[in-house]
Amino acid sequence: MPMKIIPWDLGAIPSRFFLFGEAAWYTVQITALGVLLGLVIGLIVALGRLSNNRTISTFSRAYIFLIRGTPLLVQLFIVYYGLTSIVTIAPIPSAVIALGVHNGAYIAEIFRGSIQSIHYGQMEAARSLGMTRSKAMRRIILPQAFKRAVPSLGNQLIIALKDSSLASTIAVPELMLRGRQMGSSTFMYMEMFIIVGIWYLLMTSVLSYAIHRIETRLKVSDRD
Amino acid sequence: MTEKKKIKPIMKKEPIDPDAPFLRIEKLNKWYGQLHVLKNISLSVQKGEVVVIIGASGSGKSTLLRCVNFLEKAKDGKIYIEGKRIRNQEKQLNRVRQDLGMVFQHFNLFPHMTVIQNVMEGLVQVKGLPKDEARERALALLDQVGLNDKAEVYPSMLSGGQKQRVAIARALAMDPKIMLFDEPTSALDPELVGEVLTVMTDLAKLGMTMLVVTHEMWFAKEVADRVVFMDDGVILEEAAPEKMFSAPEHERTLEFLKQVLPH
Repeated sequence: MPMKIIPWDLGAIPSRFFLFGEAAWYTVQITALGVLLGLVIGLIVALGRLSNNRTISTFSRAYIFLIRGTPLLVQLFIVYYGLTSIVTIAPIPSAVIALGVHNGAYIAEIFRGSIQSIHYGQMEAARSLGMTRSKAMRRIILPQAFKRAVPSLGNQLIIALKDSSLASTIAVPELMLRGRQMGSSTFMYMEMFIIVGIWYLLMTSVLSYAIHRIETRLKVSDRD
Repeated sequence: MTEKKKIKPIMKKEPIDPDAPFLRIEKLNKWYGQLHVLKNISLSVQKGEVVVIIGASGSGKSTLLRCVNFLEKAKDGKIYIEGKRIRNQEKQLNRVRQDLGMVFQHFNLFPHMTVIQNVMEGLVQVKGLPKDEARERALALLDQVGLNDKAEVYPSMLSGGQKQRVAIARALAMDPKIMLFDEPTSALDPELVGEVLTVMTDLAKLGMTMLVVTHEMWFAKEVADRVVFMDDGVILEEAAPEKMFSAPEHERTLEFLKQVLPH
């Protein structure tokens, strides 16, 4: 039997577009929470890697090695399926945890790089005023390092947003899952995934613009 | 079988000599790997004295200065401030460093803070002064270095000379007992050197104890009470500036002075 070819009906795109709004909101939420968790983990691991304490720095290094070296999908399945023998975690928290743990490793390296890029003279100047190491880190090094990290963090945020589509595999009702469901119920796969693509593009555009604005605003203390 | 009980050593109190020099460096040795950069250096600075260290680059003069406030850790040797031994121990260092104002070759101002915030930072964060008090004191210090009109700008908007004057104000804010200057004018354009040296000269006139590493022979000649010549990790000679610049004892000193002084 010859396969029936269904012609694309691109006119269905505008009419169905807003049926994806709720799913897009889920995407935004798991990305935001995931990256927030990632920022916390990233800062801790970055400071850990730079610590003089051997155990802490080795542990931090191992974390980055393991997480960066394995796919997000594997991590997601370990959290959602793998941990069930110990604890059952619902799809959305699973996605947030996996995204947080995954991005934490990358963000740690971003922070480490930006902390190390701050001239050692800054630490020396702070210490020569009698500041403790941790106060110098908090008051002098980190504010400058954060600023330098913004472009890379923005990049990572955009990656995280797109990576959140993997959460569709554990039944989080986000954009990608919505696209698959709508596709299979209407057989308009092309149209539905174009809609999904447009939603992602819209969100990444907003993010790019926001990051650009933040970067410009942070430039106040730099010479133009 | 009973083990002999170890006799607890009696805590020896550091003998504090009231006539001790303000700063005493004793037999300091510093290595960078195989390189012996400070060889058994001993040096004293009296209260109110301005001591200038001169010498070719690589002679160890900056390293010596940085060892005084433990930005570099010497391998052995002792450092005394007002007769009290300073050890490489965090708590003590954080306290002692407030008494040792440090001015760096490359200023090292905090670029994310305005000029006044730079000067206030130590007062608020280390000395725990309330903000308005710190601000008042910072403004007075900026006035002293002639920069009160620049209080609200960021360091990136300043010239090198202005940056260094802010750095001096920042160090002075901590009310130090001695100021350490590590080649404070070496990174400046020639026309900006004067304004920094003027501030330093004024400071010396006010009776500040100063240990200065510099290539500005004019400053050594006119302001120093004593000039120390370092060569290859040792103090080759120290003398009053008149003697050092007119009749140095060592051939090597003469050679160096010939190179740096205008003929």
